[in-house]
Amino acid sequence: MMVRYLLAALVAGLIAGVFMSVAQEIKVTPLILHAEEFENVGGAHVEQSLAPRGSSILALADFLNPVTSAHAHEGADGGSLFGLDRLGGTILANLVVGAGYGLILLAAVLLTGIPITAKTGVLWGAAGWLTFQFLPALGLPPELPGFPAVDLADRQVWWIATVLLSAAGLYLLVARSEIWAKVLGVVVLALPHVYGAPQPEIISSDVPALLAAEFAVAALATTAFFWVVLGLLMGAAMDRLEEGA
Amino acid sequence: MANKTIKTHTIGAAGQRITIAVTALIVGAFFIFGAGLANSAVLHDTAHDARHAYGFPCH
Repeated sequence: MMVRYLLAALVAGLIAGVFMSVAQEIKVTPLILHAEEFENVGGAHVEQSLAPRGSSILALADFLNPVTSAHAHEGADGGSLFGLDRLGGTILANLVVGAGYGLILLAAVLLTGIPITAKTGVLWGAAGWLTFQFLPALGLPPELPGFPAVDLADRQVWWIATVLLSAAGLYLLVARSEIWAKVLGVVVLALPHVYGAPQPEIISSDVPALLAAEFAVAALATTAFFWVVLGLLMGAAMDRLEEGA
Repeated sequence: MANKTIKTHTIGAAGQRITIAVTALIVGAFFIFGAGLANSAVLHDTAHDARHAYGFPCH
């Protein structure tokens, strides 16, 4: 029984990952490739591409960053897992992310005791999108390569904290009926944004702002699509498991 | 008794449910960490475009 639930979540996630790969290839990847053209303007070396020009502070931050800039792009060191090409790597990553979010969604369904069905799948998907995409994006919008940003570890800590607080806040706000829970839910949801995401002091970039805006919308739109597909597939899978049980 | 049977059929016994949930959470978080957050050059390069597309903090 246990294995069937885990398998259902895995399969739903993998299928959602395939859908996401297609959506990404159409809406998101072209913008990343376009941005990389600007990113490398004025400095042929990849090393230069991630440090905003003329900023010694950010250059220093980039230097101290545990993730060095050199491996960020094609042709640099690092290299791809299993020798996959760029599209292959993206598809693999989408499958892993899909499976991961599918399993986390299953865990949320089981821990809250709020069932996911074909009917409530969209709502569960919306909750996942809010938790993992939209609410963190309020502080750290989806960024194109070549954008100024502060230390990676700081942003990752803020991102993880925001995801955890958003999940807790949504649970308190939506799943609990007590007044104190709803008030606390709003407070918990607002907390990471009141604290504030780590932001760079210097925000100039070679990448045009129009591209950044298009990218942020495309990233949020495609991930909304991903989460709705994932929610619907999970709901349908759970309906079938319940029938067969 | 009857109530217990129905419960088992709908979502599994409570203990088993928690076991599934925790297993799913740990494995799922491991996948998300590997694809989205892990500080490894090879993982980063492989997942580069997807990391940007999901809005994971990158670079």
